[in-house]
Amino acid sequence: MSAQALLEVHDLGKRFASRAGRDSSLWVIRDLSFSVADGEFLTIVGPSGSGKTTLLNMIAQIDVASGGEVRFQSEVAPINDPKSLNPGLSCRIGYVTQEDNLLPWRTMLQNVLFPLVVQGRLNDETRARAEMLIRTVGLAGFENHYPHELSGGMRKRASLIRTLVYDPPVILMDEPFGALDAQTRTVLQEDLLRLWNLGRKTIIFVTHDITEAIALGDRTLVLTRAPARVAGEHKIDLPRPRDIRGILTDPKFIEIYQRIREQVQ
Amino acid sequence: MPGCAGTETPTGEKMATQSEFSAPPGENSSRVGTLIRSRGDQLLVLIALFAIWQACSLWLGTYWVGSPWGTVVRLTTGVLGGELLSHASFTLAEAVIGFLLGGIPAVILPFLLRRLPIVTAILDPFMVGGYGAPKLALAPLFILWFGIGIESKIALVAITVFFIVYFSTLSGIRALDTKLVQMAQIVGADEKDVARHIVFPGAVPYIFTGFRIAMPYAIGGAVVAELISANRGLGYLIQLGAMNFDTTGVFVALLATGIIVFIGNTAVNVFERRLLRWRPPSDAKNQSGT
Ligand SMILES: Nc1ncnc2c1ncn2[C@@H]1O[C@H](COP(=O)(O)OP(=O)(O)OP(=O)(O)O)[C@@H](O)[C@H]1O
Ligand SMILES: [Mg+2]
Repeated sequence: MSAQALLEVHDLGKRFASRAGRDSSLWVIRDLSFSVADGEFLTIVGPSGSGKTTLLNMIAQIDVASGGEVRFQSEVAPINDPKSLNPGLSCRIGYVTQEDNLLPWRTMLQNVLFPLVVQGRLNDETRARAEMLIRTVGLAGFENHYPHELSGGMRKRASLIRTLVYDPPVILMDEPFGALDAQTRTVLQEDLLRLWNLGRKTIIFVTHDITEAIALGDRTLVLTRAPARVAGEHKIDLPRPRDIRGILTDPKFIEIYQRIREQVQ
Repeated sequence: MPGCAGTETPTGEKMATQSEFSAPPGENSSRVGTLIRSRGDQLLVLIALFAIWQACSLWLGTYWVGSPWGTVVRLTTGVLGGELLSHASFTLAEAVIGFLLGGIPAVILPFLLRRLPIVTAILDPFMVGGYGAPKLALAPLFILWFGIGIESKIALVAITVFFIVYFSTLSGIRALDTKLVQMAQIVGADEKDVARHIVFPGAVPYIFTGFRIAMPYAIGGAVVAELISANRGLGYLIQLGAMNFDTTGVFVALLATGIIVFIGNTAVNVFERRLLRWRPPSDAKNQSGT
């Protein structure tokens, strides 16, 4: 499928600079290859510490690869050269990080508007979009709260819509719904699917939750323990639009679930 | 009031922490309670200090220790007469001008050096040396260079404030959370946006810590420089009082200095609280003392 692949990861390797007294040749990721098509919803599952966050950091270009290649459209990310990284690839790749990374000195609304401010795109229309997103994720009424006045799940939702607000064509998400209760989680999953259906974005979604990976994705990658490589790849050919609540009893779902289950150690 | 005896000044930060422990944290009503309690405790300490002062003055005689009552009366008449006020405002002017001349470059310089780690590293030993050098020893030199007028005092205050604020600003910049910077870059922030929206706001609490520490040094520095050579200011009054064996006069000038430091500290706190509304209350309280 590499012909129209939007993003290609080829033989990617990553190791962190060692500190004294530690083995320097410890690879976190080794020989990892996969590709993502334009408009695809890719989900990635893997055990904790397998290098999922590290992988997304390299795709978003806030961290450098130690070997191999990450190619976005026709641009190749630098290898071993942190100085020439281009974080976010000029706003084309959005990244909802595992930690919320909200600015503590800005209110929730100011945090959500932050990308629009630095991009010089704050106007009535984008502001209305921000307000709509705030309502969608149930944060209305908390616009003037500072991050320390919000709950963990609320901060997570705020950081999610901070990325959605400027509408980047590709979005990386690192366990965005991990800290939420089952009810809110389902609502947000449905909202995310609706948004994705409307705009046909490319989404790379990391999660611990196999159910979530199947319910949302077109395809699920399973990573091995570190050094991470692809343990398996599963096409999720469940029809869309999907009913997140009803899907759990679908025999096809159960079959895929069991296949993935066996690969995740 | 057990446990309060160690607290030396009514403005001290120890008081606030003490009442923090005695009041249940968290609730809104307890905040008010804490405030009343700490104010009440402070008043008690103030009364205790005056009592000790009075006892010393009775014991040793007013020739050695001016009586509190006499001091307060002289302070009041001095203020009303305008003479003390003019000396105090002279000292205050030195402190304020020196604070600005030393403090503003001390905030700006680390930001300019942020992109030049090598220059920062080269400067570091000299800055540490300047920070550690006893500023009092510079006073005669500055008087030699700048004369006995206001300029030499301003220079001494400025140099004292500069090093304190420089190092606290620097540590604020070094405490920068790179994750926040990366987030900002991903959403499209350029170098200037990062400096303005991430580095600066993150450093503000550190800058204020520097201001708070530097403020008494600014006033103290002005007074000390006046002690050495001046014909106006609170330091001059202290010198004059000592020369004429007028202990009460010395005490009046010292009390006035203390009051100015207290007002200065309150001003920094008010300013800080306005700017740092985003901080969790426990942090804010630890930072601002009262
Ligand atoms: N900056 C770093 N320096 C050294 N080692 C690191 C660094 N960041 C991550 N690692 C190591 O890389 C491995 C993978 O980390 P990573 O955060 O990518 O895991 P993850 O798959 O996202 O885990 P989780 O699901 O718990 O978030 C871990 O063993 C971790 O110790
Ligand atoms: Mg992770």
